[in-house]
Amino acid sequence: MASFIQLLVSGLATGAIYALIAVGFTLLWQTSQTINFAQGEFVMLPAFFVLAAMNFGAPFWVAALIAVALSVVILGLMFKAIIVDPMLKHGVLPLVISTIALSLFLKESAKDFYSSQAQPFPALVPPIDLHFLGAVVSLQSLTVLAVAIVTVLALHLLLNNTRLGRMMQATAQNPTLARILGVPVRRMVLYTFLINGALVAIASILISPIYLAKFTNGETLGMAAFLAAIIGGFNQVRGAILGGIILGVLDNLSAAYISSQYRAAFPLIILIVVILWRPQGLLGRLEERTV
Amino acid sequence: MTPVLQVSNLRKSFGGITAVDGVSFEVREGEILGIIGPNGSGKSTLFNCVLGQLSPTEGEVRIDGKPTAGMRPCDLNRLGVSRTFQLLQVFPQLSVRDNLILAGQEHKGTMASRLFGAADAGLGDQASQMIDFFRLGHVAGEPAGSLSYGQQKLLDAAMAFMAGPRLVLLDEPAGGVNLTMLANLRERLQAYHREQKATFVVIEHQMEFVMALCTRVVVLAEGRIIAEGLPQEIRQNPVVIEAYLGH
Amino acid sequence: MTRLGAVCFAGAVIAALVLPQFLKGYGIYLLSMWAVLTIAALGLNLTLGYAGQVSLAQGAFVGIGAYTVALLMQVGWPFPIAFVCAVVLCFAIGWGLGYPALRVQHHYLAFVTLAFNTLVFLVLRNEEWLTHGIYGVSGIMRPVLMGWSTGKPLAFYYFCLGMLALVALGLWWMIRSPWGRAFVALRENPVRALSLGLDTRRYTLMAFAIGSSLGGVAGALYAPLVQFIEPNSFALGLSFNLLLMVIVGGSGYFYGPFLGALVSVLLPEWLRVTQGYYLIVYAAAIMFMMAVCPTGLFGLAQRAARALRTKRVPALQTERTRP
Repeated sequence: MASFIQLLVSGLATGAIYALIAVGFTLLWQTSQTINFAQGEFVMLPAFFVLAAMNFGAPFWVAALIAVALSVVILGLMFKAIIVDPMLKHGVLPLVISTIALSLFLKESAKDFYSSQAQPFPALVPPIDLHFLGAVVSLQSLTVLAVAIVTVLALHLLLNNTRLGRMMQATAQNPTLARILGVPVRRMVLYTFLINGALVAIASILISPIYLAKFTNGETLGMAAFLAAIIGGFNQVRGAILGGIILGVLDNLSAAYISSQYRAAFPLIILIVVILWRPQGLLGRLEERTV
Repeated sequence: MTPVLQVSNLRKSFGGITAVDGVSFEVREGEILGIIGPNGSGKSTLFNCVLGQLSPTEGEVRIDGKPTAGMRPCDLNRLGVSRTFQLLQVFPQLSVRDNLILAGQEHKGTMASRLFGAADAGLGDQASQMIDFFRLGHVAGEPAGSLSYGQQKLLDAAMAFMAGPRLVLLDEPAGGVNLTMLANLRERLQAYHREQKATFVVIEHQMEFVMALCTRVVVLAEGRIIAEGLPQEIRQNPVVIEAYLGH
Repeated sequence: MTRLGAVCFAGAVIAALVLPQFLKGYGIYLLSMWAVLTIAALGLNLTLGYAGQVSLAQGAFVGIGAYTVALLMQVGWPFPIAFVCAVVLCFAIGWGLGYPALRVQHHYLAFVTLAFNTLVFLVLRNEEWLTHGIYGVSGIMRPVLMGWSTGKPLAFYYFCLGMLALVALGLWWMIRSPWGRAFVALRENPVRALSLGLDTRRYTLMAFAIGSSLGGVAGALYAPLVQFIEPNSFALGLSFNLLLMVIVGGSGYFYGPFLGALVSVLLPEWLRVTQGYYLIVYAAAIMFMMAVCPTGLFGLAQRAARALRTKRVPALQTERTRP
């Protein structure tokens, strides 16, 4: 039982990080029909921003803030302006190809301009273990969980309790109608990209102490983002959160109780089952089938 | 003689709304039946039920006496039912000629014979005849997407006729077509009807088009048939006038 | 085909036949790789470009084809029989993969096929008793066909080229036939296609099956070409690469895959001059290309040809926009 709680807590922590990544991914899809195949690399990169800033002498917290800012500008604003906007008028497939190429670009850039070796990444809190109900739970996991929850709550408050947030939701649900009602749709779409930039940076800072900063991180994290988003519901932010948590917990539990070789297969099979039997995911709305 | 189309007590509900409420009628061979009615009277829903796009909540549709319950549109097409579309649905990337061959090819032979047989499935001559009949000769090799709206309407009709169907359902064929083209379209449909002894069912809004083309008219309002008869009778029927003006 | 097109085609055929005589071993190897990858890309072009079904699993089929041939030959089966087994297996699995395509489309289908590809990779990696896992299968022999040994690089290249020609011929016949029209109808307007009596289900499954079996053909040739295969070669990277080839060449254009595969095989070699940054340049080039001509190189060529033609006969200018 004790180990179950441990696995559950660490699973929730990983799941919370997946949720952040998946939420950003879902937001981009909802507001601008962008399927960002480079989302994993978006999470891989900010860690290197932090490390580079620290190499220039900045203390960790300053470096983290710099990384978030850089991420928002480069992975948010520049991504939208340089890649997404010119591509959207050509349809979804060219954009998909571009993001696939972008993921390759970012991965190789990290490898060539920083290092191909895995880099240790400073943890947010000292490696203390807490004792809880007979189980050993790391402070790290709890901190990650706390930060992720705070971020999600903040996002939730933004989307549901502010005028700006409601305008963003309107843009996501029906851009044409939103435009008619006077919502500055283009600006709302920009904001979702900026928010994604911030989310991936936070996720990066949370996960890199565990995974280490490696240029190949993007592959697993990207896959986790897609799986979480789809299982939870491709067009609902709440769904992305649920999907992320389910994925994180399942991942940890299956690694312990099922063969670790086929650990990656489990979420994939769930994905296939979900897409075929309930493509809108657990919480999503059924999208119109495009003829 | 079995009627070509028999609709018996057809009902279609969507949740709480009953779009078609107990409709029954027959279409005999060689007729041109017009179905008219104000907006929201259930014409399109009725059409889609007959064509297999929707399955009726109650009631039955028979083609040449055969019940069509559960058939997919492609199966119905093999039975001899074809249709035109209200919103144009030609294949823009294929040439006019290829559109026509496509429209008829699935009726020729089996899937295997279609792979190993002639590239045009033996429909080259028939396609040429259709092109001449609808006077599309000057654009026969052009991609269908480059044709004018009126020309695409003619192509749409031609595609419906390629398989030599028993029954053709035309969904608002006059929609969005200018008057000259309209006269041309009506004249071609009538010529086809005469020469091939075809059977048509036409849904239309435009009264003049219906009155000039159809041999018999059925009027739908709020999902039910409120009048049936010859065009001239319908035109003067007070119930019909009420239904249209009352909305 | 236009006169310019015919000239280019003839030139390409001559180059393909004659050029290798002047190349060293590595150059011939690259050309053989081009031929093999073109076959896989032609398969994907059929599924995606013609029939409009998004598949990110073509790499897996190359893998299934390669492993089938390699493992069967290891237990002594002759190449031709192993080859046929590989193709039939890929056809059957591809048909099965088509069933999800009947339920979902576009991005959902992309994710299903992506998941399938990764699952195949996991099986290849984990089932060591069958596939030797991460140790791979080595010492794959090149076949001897009716007394002619394909062991030498040049001989094997001509073998691959011959297979490519056969595949291209078969595909060309299919696209010309009613099936080709049916696939285009399936891509452009399945609703209309249904109402014309076209069994969209059967054609969708067929598009997947044939496309996948061509992946199998490519795999069956890939194994004796590289003579050592391991699971990593057939993971998502290959599927993405093949997708890139189809799109860069021009999705839905018959000769697109030939050009796309050439770019994909040659560009890294040309970019070696950038000293290891070539993948970054490659990626940037792809992104640039997508912004400038998303219809691929052949789409660009078609636009250019049309622009040239309009100068001569302005009255017949028609704006053909791809959906």
